[in-house]
Amino acid sequence: MKHSFIALIEDKCTSCMLCVRECPAWCINLDSHTVEVTEEGARRPKKVNVLDSFDIDYSLCMYCGVCIDVCPFDALAWDEHRALTSTNREDMILGIADLRSSGNA
Amino acid sequence: MPRYALTSEPRVCVEIVSAALACCTLELQAALGSGVLVESTELDASPSVIVIAGTVTDALVPSVMQLIRAHPGVKVMSFGACATSGGPYWDSPPVSKGIDQFVEVATYVAGCPPRPDAFIQAISDLACSEDA
Amino acid sequence: MNREFTWQQVEPDQWRIKVSELIDSGFFYFDFLTGVDRENIDGQSDCEVVAHLAKPDLSDSRIIFTQVKSELASIEDLAPASSWYERECAEMYGITFTGGDTRPLLRHEGLGRPPLRKSAVLAARVLTRWPGGAEPEIREDGRKVGNVSRRRQRPPGVPENWLTP
Repeated sequence: MKHSFIALIEDKCTSCMLCVRECPAWCINLDSHTVEVTEEGARRPKKVNVLDSFDIDYSLCMYCGVCIDVCPFDALAWDEHRALTSTNREDMILGIADLRSSGNA
Repeated sequence: MPRYALTSEPRVCVEIVSAALACCTLELQAALGSGVLVESTELDASPSVIVIAGTVTDALVPSVMQLIRAHPGVKVMSFGACATSGGPYWDSPPVSKGIDQFVEVATYVAGCPPRPDAFIQAISDLACSEDA
Repeated sequence: MNREFTWQQVEPDQWRIKVSELIDSGFFYFDFLTGVDRENIDGQSDCEVVAHLAKPDLSDSRIIFTQVKSELASIEDLAPASSWYERECAEMYGITFTGGDTRPLLRHEGLGRPPLRKSAVLAARVLTRWPGGAEPEIREDGRKVGNVSRRRQRPPGVPENWLTP
C-alpha cells in the first residue's frame, strides 16, 4: 500500500521520537511526558512515556515511509488510501484521532 | 480553457487551467484522463479552477501570479505537497514555501504526488460548494 | 553497458595535458565533468574535479580526476562540450575554471555559498523549529519540570553552534 496513508497505532507508540527525528520533511510533531508505574512484584517503579499528542502535517508529508521503516515498535503503518483535501491548510495536520488505522491496509 | 463535467453529475461543470510545474502534473493528467471527468460543451461553466501542480520556485512566482491574474475570479487549487508547503524541497533556498503566501488558495490537496482520486474529490468539492 | 571504468588521478597542472593526450589517442567523445566535495573526508583538498572521456563507439573510456583548491585550467578549447559542465561545476562547487566561459548558468549572482558544497548550510533548517528537538517531559502537577534526556539534539544538516551566539 504505497502512497496511501500513514496510520498511527497509538497503543504501540513509546514516544521514542525516532520517526520525528528521521522524517526528512520534519512533518511529525510529538508531545509526551513520563509517569512512574509500579508493576506488581517489582521493587522499584519504572518510568513510562505517555503520548500526549502526535501530529502528521499532511501538507508537508511526502509519503516516503521513512517513519514506518524506523519505528521499532510498528506503531506506524501504511493504511487504506484517504484522499486528503481541505480548504484550510491547518486542517491537513492530523492528530491521534484522525490517524487511527481504518483496519483495511 | 478546457471545460469538464463530472460524469456522476453532468450539471456540475468546471473549467480547469493547469499550471504544469513539476512531476505532480503527470498525476493531474492521469486524473483528467480517468473518465470521472468528461469534456463538456455546456456554456455556463461554473467555477473556474486553476491547478498549481508542482514545485513553485521563487523565480517562477511572478509567472504563476501572472497566470492567476489573467483569470479573474478563478479558484486556486494547491495540488501536492510542493505547491502547498514546499514539500520535499521545504529547506531549499530557491523554492517558495507554499503558494498561499502569494495568493488565496481555495483548496489544498495533500500528497506527493496526490493520487488522481484526491484531485477528483477536490474538484467535485469545489464544484459542489459553488453550486450550493 | 556493463564494464569497469578506468580511473586515473592527475595533478592539477597536468589536467589540460592529460585531456589533450586522451583526445589525441582517440578518447574524443567528452561525456561529462563534475565536482565532488571531499571536505572532511581527507582533510586536505577542497574539491575534486572528475571528467569522463570515451572513444566515440564507447568501446573504451577513461575517468580522470584531480584535487583542486579553488582553480583549475579550463579544457573548453580542447573539448567544447565541457563548457556547460564547467559552468555548472563553477556555480555548484565554487571552482574557477581559468580561461573558460565564466557566465553564470542557472543561479543568480550573490546567492551565497555554492549549494553543493558541504559547508553550504540550508538556512531553513536552522530557522525552522525542529520537532525532533523535543523529548518526553517530566511533569509535576501537570507542569513541565524537565526532560527525560538532557542531551541537546541537533537537527540533521546543521553544524554545531551554527548561528548561535
